[in-house]
Amino acid sequence: MIENLAPTTFVALAFGVVIFILLMFLPALLELRKPRDAGPRKIMNDVATCESQMKIASMERAEEIEVDQALVKKMANVLSVLPNLET
Amino acid sequence: MITVILEALFLILTSLMTGYLIRHYFFTLTVLRNAGKHKKAPALENTAFQPTVSILIPAYNEEPVIGRILQRMSELTYPTDKLQIIVIDDASKDKTGKIADRYSNIHNYVKVLHRDEKEGGRGKASALNAGLKHAKGEIVLCFDADYYPQRDITEQLAKEFEDPKVGAVQGRVTVLNEPKNMLTRLVALERIGGYRIAQQARDDLGLITQFGGTVGGFRRSLLEFLGGWDESILAEDTDLTFQVYLAGYKVRYVNDAECYEEAVESWRGYWKQRYRWSRGHMQCAFKHMLKVLGSKNLRFKEKIDAFFLLNVYFMPVLVLLSWIISIPLFFMKPPQWLGVGWAVLLISAYSFVGNFAPFFEVGIGAYLDGRTRAHWLISLLIFTFLYNIPICTKAFADLVMSKISGENKVRWDKTAHSGDGNSYIMN
Repeated sequence: MIENLAPTTFVALAFGVVIFILLMFLPALLELRKPRDAGPRKIMNDVATCESQMKIASMERAEEIEVDQALVKKMANVLSVLPNLET
Repeated sequence: MITVILEALFLILTSLMTGYLIRHYFFTLTVLRNAGKHKKAPALENTAFQPTVSILIPAYNEEPVIGRILQRMSELTYPTDKLQIIVIDDASKDKTGKIADRYSNIHNYVKVLHRDEKEGGRGKASALNAGLKHAKGEIVLCFDADYYPQRDITEQLAKEFEDPKVGAVQGRVTVLNEPKNMLTRLVALERIGGYRIAQQARDDLGLITQFGGTVGGFRRSLLEFLGGWDESILAEDTDLTFQVYLAGYKVRYVNDAECYEEAVESWRGYWKQRYRWSRGHMQCAFKHMLKVLGSKNLRFKEKIDAFFLLNVYFMPVLVLLSWIISIPLFFMKPPQWLGVGWAVLLISAYSFVGNFAPFFEVGIGAYLDGRTRAHWLISLLIFTFLYNIPICTKAFADLVMSKISGENKVRWDKTAHSGDGNSYIMN
């Protein structure tokens, strides 16, 4: 039955398929280009979540502070030698 | 003769896909119909039924995320005298164990099990079994290390066990790092379809609700009776789901018990994760199909749903087979009883994309969640669908080869977590 199709009908069918595919993907392309609902979906809305976020951040900072303190100690040891050198 | 055989095969395959199509539509319409009944429950604190609960958190090299979940565990509203948190540091090579120890030093209900390289690193099931030996609660819940639950999740899950017929529960998983890239947004859509619609519908209809391996748990007595997690199966969660039903219990889905997860962020990570799921699921199909179909503890509708659920990861393989068959069929002359050649073309076109029913399921799930434009990405799910075809085909081929060679060793390929999700929690 396919082989009985007139060329114009075949071209129209092919064009229709292309348009269909474009229309199907157009909303996705628009949303990816300019996301307006990228999520994540809010599943909790309590003060503890905000406090939790701050605690996690401070825990991560605590590790940085430990490193900084080690560095400061080293620098202090170096500096403590310098006045002796001056004298 | 060959044409007749190919057509018969093609029609069988298309009928199977039509079966899944009907199932998807039926699930979606069921949840839509019951939407009014599923309004979000208020936060549960101080409920009467509060059994003792042990929470198992298996962790292998989870340094980027372990602190986040343990911080959250310390904020749960469940009474701490009834709570036990067990972190299984499964021979981690990073600071996972050290971070977990920090929390265990502060909270006396947090315990850390450190497994060395000899006993650990053999996969999630092995880690969970190790944790189970130390669990004292009447209920055992599991969370993956990259998860971030709501504060009253323990109450929401534990309350279901007041019904003595409930053997296991499953909460809802929501993707935390959804905005990260296109893949994470697509995985979020898959989760919406899988939990908000499919799991909810199965629960509403009294079908086979699946325990997903995390954000859920079991009655400890039942879990110990069943022998814990099967370490030879990659989908140990699916295996236990069917064991629970075969033992005469049921699994409840609790949509209000929600938890964030970090979705895979790369296509390679997606491959590894889905390969593990599909191969594990196929192992479960071989292990449980006959038992399920012959079980006196399952009703007819549960057996039908179990059949669809156990075979779901074979479908991409069958879709590939239907494409391969449809090409020669397209060029061969069909027998008279099929009628119009257009029917063959349309059936081929339909089977090319599987079917659109899953897209409808995801779209309705997003609508019920109040999402405004997340569903605009639905058409891109065709890429994850197409990607699943080689994944599931390889999993099937590897499984068949392992059955022929008799080698049953499976390797647990862990999903790597970046810990980037923290920035999204404050959304």
